[in-house]
Amino acid sequence: MRLRRHPVTRATGDRAVHDRVIRALADARYRASPAWQTYHLADPDRVERYARFLARHFYYERIVQFFKYSRALARITGRPPEAVLRGDAFDLLLPSVVLGSRETAQAVARLVVGHVGAARAPIPYLADLLRYEEAMMLVEAGPRIWRDDTRTEGTGSRERHAPEKVKGTVLLELAFDLPAVLPRLLQPWTEVPLAAVRPTQLLVARSPHGRVAVARSDAGIAAVMQLADGKRTLEQLAAAAGLAVGDLEATLEGLVELGAVRFPNGS
Amino acid sequence: MTNRLMVGAFYNPHLGAELAQAEGIDHLAMADPPAATDPWWPAIRERYTLLLHDYLGQLSEPLDERSIARARALAELYRSPWVAEHFQCLHTADGAYNLNYVFPPLYTEEFLDRFVRNATALKARLDQPLVMENIPGFFDVAASQLPEPLWLRRFFEATGAGFLLDLPHVWLEAHYHDRNPEAWLAEFPLDHVVELHVAGVEEDRDLRGPWIAPAEPSDAMLDFLAHAVRRCPRARAVTFDAFSPSLTPDALFRSVERIRKVV
Repeated sequence: MRLRRHPVTRATGDRAVHDRVIRALADARYRASPAWQTYHLADPDRVERYARFLARHFYYERIVQFFKYSRALARITGRPPEAVLRGDAFDLLLPSVVLGSRETAQAVARLVVGHVGAARAPIPYLADLLRYEEAMMLVEAGPRIWRDDTRTEGTGSRERHAPEKVKGTVLLELAFDLPAVLPRLLQPWTEVPLAAVRPTQLLVARSPHGRVAVARSDAGIAAVMQLADGKRTLEQLAAAAGLAVGDLEATLEGLVELGAVRFPNGS
Repeated sequence: MTNRLMVGAFYNPHLGAELAQAEGIDHLAMADPPAATDPWWPAIRERYTLLLHDYLGQLSEPLDERSIARARALAELYRSPWVAEHFQCLHTADGAYNLNYVFPPLYTEEFLDRFVRNATALKARLDQPLVMENIPGFFDVAASQLPEPLWLRRFFEATGAGFLLDLPHVWLEAHYHDRNPEAWLAEFPLDHVVELHVAGVEEDRDLRGPWIAPAEPSDAMLDFLAHAVRRCPRARAVTFDAFSPSLTPDALFRSVERIRKVV
């Protein structure tokens, strides 16, 4: 079969046909559309069953990874985060799921936050923890680079280009010092580890290859993140953020490494 | 069988303490790099033959330098006797859609050419032999042109790569196509098999049928393994293919013991 309608990919030949199959499995609305169905590439019932299986698997892996601290607390809360995947609310999402999209990540994360957050458990920082875990899951979502066949972002002459905040990067303001307690949650414990009440800023970002990283933030970093719009030069950005250019460059180095800021190619 | 088969499992880091002291396991397959915080990793590396079985990249496209460097570094770290990848194509060419789960390519001449070309290029950059694992299809795609076993045979003959035969994958395909598993298996290029995977299957609600699971193999699956091993003259290892935080030490050790009895 070599139908050529409604292109969904830049690929050609059999690769393009295969891309349609992948998209049909990943994107529920495309799967339900005439744009896919008129190709008659596979049994619709089998495709639907497999797509639902993949969706549950895809979000199981992400919930287990990003809500691992809530999982560690499940013997106190009585609410394992991954339980939402067997609930009616997740089934209701299935007709609109797009694997890996920010919208679906947001919808699934909300289910988890609602489920775990409803626990009547004596964990003062539970709300902060859920915001942190939700942010991790949202930041990870979105298209990623699978192959390095283009010039790496962040390289090249930085003097000629203005830095910009990477889409999806999140700056969290928390009431508790979560980074200090998180490792202890994954160790054996009998009483729930406590977190100090201390205003804490965290920056959550993702590299182009999909690695999610977290770093403590401060007022200077927050200002840079707010002002890095891809238009201001380094000098303009330094002046607006109240930093010396040398300090700004050091800060940007760390932010580029984290995946929070990039230097767009071209001027 | 003339050569002694190694019998092993996957390294499950949550079972590190038990595996570091275990008897009766010849090798461990590594699905993920060891965590920097894994206290058992040094003992595991010292004690076992380790098989690189990570996601290196999909060979429908050439691997980039970053992926090749990662594969080489992991193979060296593990001192792996061979390097494994899968016959999979799970994200679109532009990276916009990703299934995050093994998914077979179309069995066409064009995809065969892509996989042969890219596997040959990868082999040339590795210091160890490359083996490739078969991936099950839950449904057929009308655009495929060749039966999977023939496509695989042509791939192995063109590349000289080894075959990592995943038996539950063959069993599942036979199940979903109303085929006899032994008859379906006989069509595969078993003379190229270097390693076999075996595990259990469990009922899945979405698929409304059995699928791969981190479970103990049934007696029937072990009989299927014994049947397959007799037909794979170059096989060097059998691996219990279970990698999951839910896997218990009892299930892992009992499975390896039962596998050893039938091979």
